[in-house]
Amino acid sequence: MTLLELKEGDTAVISRVSGGKGVSARMAGLGLHAGKKVRVVRAAPFRGPLLIEDISSGARTMIGRGIASHVEILNEKR
Amino acid sequence: MWKSLTKNDNSEMVIALAGQPNCGKSTIFNAVAGFKVNTGNFSGTTVSYTETEVYIGGRTVRLIDLPGTYSISANDVAERVARDYLLSGQVDVIINVVDSSLLSRSLELTLQLMEMNVPMVIGLNMIDDAQKKGMEIDIPALTSLTGLEAYPLIAVQGSGVHELFDAALKVSENSFHRVPPVYDRDVEECIARIEARYPSTLKERLRVDTRFVIIRLLEMDEEFEKLVSEVDGDFLEYVVENRRFLAEVHDWPESGVFASHRHALVLDLFEQVVAVRSRTGTSLSEKIDRFVINPVGGLAATVGVFFLMFAVSFWFGNLIAGLVEAPLESLGAFLMSHTSGYTAMLVSGVYDGFTAGVGIVLPYLVPLLVILSLLEDTGLLPRIAFMADGLLHRFGLHGKSVVPIIMGYGCNVPAIMAARNLEYERDRIITMLMVPFIACSARTVIILALAGKYLGAGYTTLIYLGNIAIALGVSSVFSRLSADVSPGIIMDVPPLRKPYLHVVMRKVWVRIQEFLLFAWPVIAISSIALAVFSYVGIDDVINRVLSPITTFILGLPSDLGITLFLGIFRKELTLIMLNSALNTTDVSTVLSSAQLLVLVVFTVLYIPCVATISTLWKEGGLKVALLSIALNTSIALVVAGSLAFLL
Repeated sequence: MTLLELKEGDTAVISRVSGGKGVSARMAGLGLHAGKKVRVVRAAPFRGPLLIEDISSGARTMIGRGIASHVEILNEKR
Repeated sequence: MWKSLTKNDNSEMVIALAGQPNCGKSTIFNAVAGFKVNTGNFSGTTVSYTETEVYIGGRTVRLIDLPGTYSISANDVAERVARDYLLSGQVDVIINVVDSSLLSRSLELTLQLMEMNVPMVIGLNMIDDAQKKGMEIDIPALTSLTGLEAYPLIAVQGSGVHELFDAALKVSENSFHRVPPVYDRDVEECIARIEARYPSTLKERLRVDTRFVIIRLLEMDEEFEKLVSEVDGDFLEYVVENRRFLAEVHDWPESGVFASHRHALVLDLFEQVVAVRSRTGTSLSEKIDRFVINPVGGLAATVGVFFLMFAVSFWFGNLIAGLVEAPLESLGAFLMSHTSGYTAMLVSGVYDGFTAGVGIVLPYLVPLLVILSLLEDTGLLPRIAFMADGLLHRFGLHGKSVVPIIMGYGCNVPAIMAARNLEYERDRIITMLMVPFIACSARTVIILALAGKYLGAGYTTLIYLGNIAIALGVSSVFSRLSADVSPGIIMDVPPLRKPYLHVVMRKVWVRIQEFLLFAWPVIAISSIALAVFSYVGIDDVINRVLSPITTFILGLPSDLGITLFLGIFRKELTLIMLNSALNTTDVSTVLSSAQLLVLVVFTVLYIPCVATISTLWKEGGLKVALLSIALNTSIALVVAGSLAFLL
């Protein structure tokens, strides 16, 4: 399952970032590696990006839906 | 072999500020920068750097503010140019600025910078934010584990900045003893194997730390692979073999296996130097943040910013423009009464250029740049981008394009400057080409004065809507034509922060300087040219030269040629000169409604004003400026020409 399938408030652990070296490197630059536990804070209107929070550091990142569909996750309970 | 910015005579010490976006690098730069601040683009790119000379510890030091990057993996142009510059051999010391509240993420870049083996110190910025988050950073431990001196900072308050620079000066004078990051045993064995075969030809050619080169190759860095393959293809093959082996052993993709080891190292380092206490309660900024990222709150904030900018450019702009008008006019009268002949011509040209500059800088540029800086410093900018991205994406734009667009309604000049916030070159250029289509306040005055007065509210609204449609159409077309696909948004959303007036004003000052140094001379020269034209009595010639456009395509009186020509210098001149060119006090007696509509539409769309052109030139290069002129003029001719033909 991917990050895109989560609802606002859901938490999950990133298991793999596919979609090419550029995407995974950029995600890694923002601290979003495999193994990171994240929460979907908000989904923007008009099919806009998702606002993701890195639970350990509290850092927030917005990720477009195209990229979110490349982020594989292990879902957890809200 | 690495590209260099400018020649350095080696007598001057060079310090480079490197760090991730939003780490406060520029705040530190602006806090110590003197009055001579240069902003330039890395050759062939729209990526800008800022440099200045600072006087510290009894010597002059050249300080360079590099673009913020998350890594030095050359994933985008900014990362590549920042890295190339650090490797160019010109940098004596790197100051790695770090957002302490995001230390674990920031250390990824720190470790990569350390691998370059260039003298370096760490500035632990926003140490107060880290403390508020319950983070206790053991600085001596950080220093002993990395060999790098680290200094706590609160850059917005200026605290710790001097200590940091003093340390940077010392580290270059004494020898630099970093503790190179040591990876897992099998990774280190892999590096050692490759190092044993490292060709001496490569060493001579690259002149950078060999371990660094090996690590870049293990990370599948395309630029380094290309360089190495040119020198020794067999060696590259050997590295690739080892890289594949490493990936297989660790069951990780080849491109990410090394990064995963560095990440583990960072986590380990982080755990050794940071103690986290749990924390309770919600701060005010978090409460505001919750409101802003709500659909309703976000919309309210975006609309609020939009109206604030509108209010600033009309109400405040007009107020200031009115205040400076009288003194400028008396200065003009004084100059005219004391000069004659050629001197008068020259003086009036310089004077016109000066007033045109003042007429843009004081009423529009300063207030709009203050708002831009506030949006950046508080962190509202990425939040507005978050709300707008979905909508703008349909027109091939980026969420962050929303600020240049909104700002364009005030003045195109700061709007184009604001495009610098966009990470990708593709998005920056599309936004820069779109902005000149937006009816700035000068053109809005023309719309209101001509269409509003003579054609009525219906047509005025139509002109506005048509203008927006054309601007969005331009960006859609360019985005489809663009070879690169928009990579989609991945953007850091830093916490909301309290802005500091002196930090904001410093930033505005640096940006105003950029405008003054680059655009003002262009405006002044064109004003002098204009003065020469009118002295020679060239009005008729211009009218005749432009008559194919004015009369044939647009169906307007040829007398309007000169007013349209003047509009290139300042858009409002078209309106000001209209009555005298047509020799009337009521334009509607000379022009039909259809002609008025054509005139307004053409004026709104055609060639951007000189200040806008020179800003485009500065920010995007000559090609972008020329493309923008061609684009605006051809669309204006087609749209206004078809209106003239149909009506």
